[in-house]
This record gives sequence, C-alpha cells and structure tokens, in this order.
Amino acid sequence: MAKLRVVLVLAALVLGLAGCKKESPTQPPAAVPPPGSQAQTPAEGVVSVVNISLGKALGPDKKVAAATDTFAKGDTIYAVVETTGSGKAPLKAKWTYHRGDKTAPVSEDSKTISASGPTATEFHVSKPDGWPLGDYQVEILLNDKSVGTKKFVVK
Amino acid sequence: MSEEMPDFSNVESGSSSTAAVIYEVKPGDSLSKIAKAHYGNANDWNRIFEANKDILKDPDKIYPGQKLKIPPK
Repeated sequence: MAKLRVVLVLAALVLGLAGCKKESPTQPPAAVPPPGSQAQTPAEGVVSVVNISLGKALGPDKKVAAATDTFAKGDTIYAVVETTGSGKAPLKAKWTYHRGDKTAPVSEDSKTISASGPTATEFHVSKPDGWPLGDYQVEILLNDKSVGTKKFVVK
Repeated sequence: MSEEMPDFSNVESGSSSTAAVIYEVKPGDSLSKIAKAHYGNANDWNRIFEANKDILKDPDKIYPGQKLKIPPK
C-alpha cells in the first residue's frame, strides 16, 4: 500500500510539472504582434514641405547656392523642395510658361522620396536652344496636392 | 491673330534628393541600368542591391512593379 501511495504521489508531481510547462509557451506569441504593427505606422503621410526656393546652381547640400527669381536664356533652373518628417512622399514639379491668360506646359517631373528627417529634393530644367523670354512658374505637389508655387522670369 | 506659344518639346529635366528615392522597376530594367540612371555608373548596382536586401534575394531577378529604395548619391 505504501508503495502504491508513493507511486501515486510521484505520478501527481510529474503531471503537475508537465501542466506547468505547457502554459509557458503560450505567453511569448501574445507579445510578438505589437512591435510588428508599430513599425508600419509611421511609414506614410508624415512628410511636409517647409520651403521651396529657386536658383541657378546647387550647393553640396542640394540647396540653391543663391536664391533668385530672375534667369537668363541659357540658365539651368533649379527648384529645391525642403521637407521635414519621415516616410514615403511623392513629390512633383510642374513647370509652366505664361503669356497673358495663356499657359503652356514646359515640363513635369516626379520623384518619390523615402525620408527619415529633413531632406532637400531638387528638380531642374534646361533648354538647349535657350528659354523664350517671359513669365514662368513651377508648382510643387506633395501626394498630388499643391503645396506651393514659385513664379520666375526669364529676361 | 493670336501669337503662338513657344515650343518646349526639347526641354531637359531631372531631379535628385538627399533622401533615398523610391523607384518602380520597369520592363527591361536591371540593377546596372538603374544604377547608371541614378548614379551615372552602372557598377554602383551593388548599392541598390544592398539597400533592398529585404525584398531582393538575387541581383539578377527584379520584376516590373517592384519598388526599390535608391540610396542618395
């Protein structure tokens, strides 16, 4: 009888330990999803444009060396868009020529950036046979929404 | 008589950024071709491969529609 009691007690202990072991693996998976889902959150839509400037040349930081709104026929024209924030941001520059109430498209260029802090993105245009004299503008769009326009003149 | 608007068909344009740029792969692209277009040197393809190792396993296998991160120059 005493042997049977010992066997029963041992069996109960073994089953009890086994029961404890089964519970532990269920905890870690519950902790896994939050970090993964958080990583996705800041990826989109938190970039904003803080400045648009025009110039004839760029510095090493991709910002205009000297801002101007007057250009000569043979100039390459740079529009620099400065942004803050992080995430993917589709930027577009629409260049147009204006005479009276008429408008002619000059060029359109887009670039999707993956920002992780302050950035400078430059768009440039040139015309091998020289720019027609007159009034121009460049419109900058972020996520297909206009965020600013800069007018300039070629003379 | 209204004056004709000037012809801008030969305007050349370009862009670059201090941020990484997202590029969508087009039919016929290779990493060398993309590197040549962005850096001016086809041999810089490895920079693009390294920046996209999370989605690229083989540098010779890229597909139209894939969005690659192009590190700044």
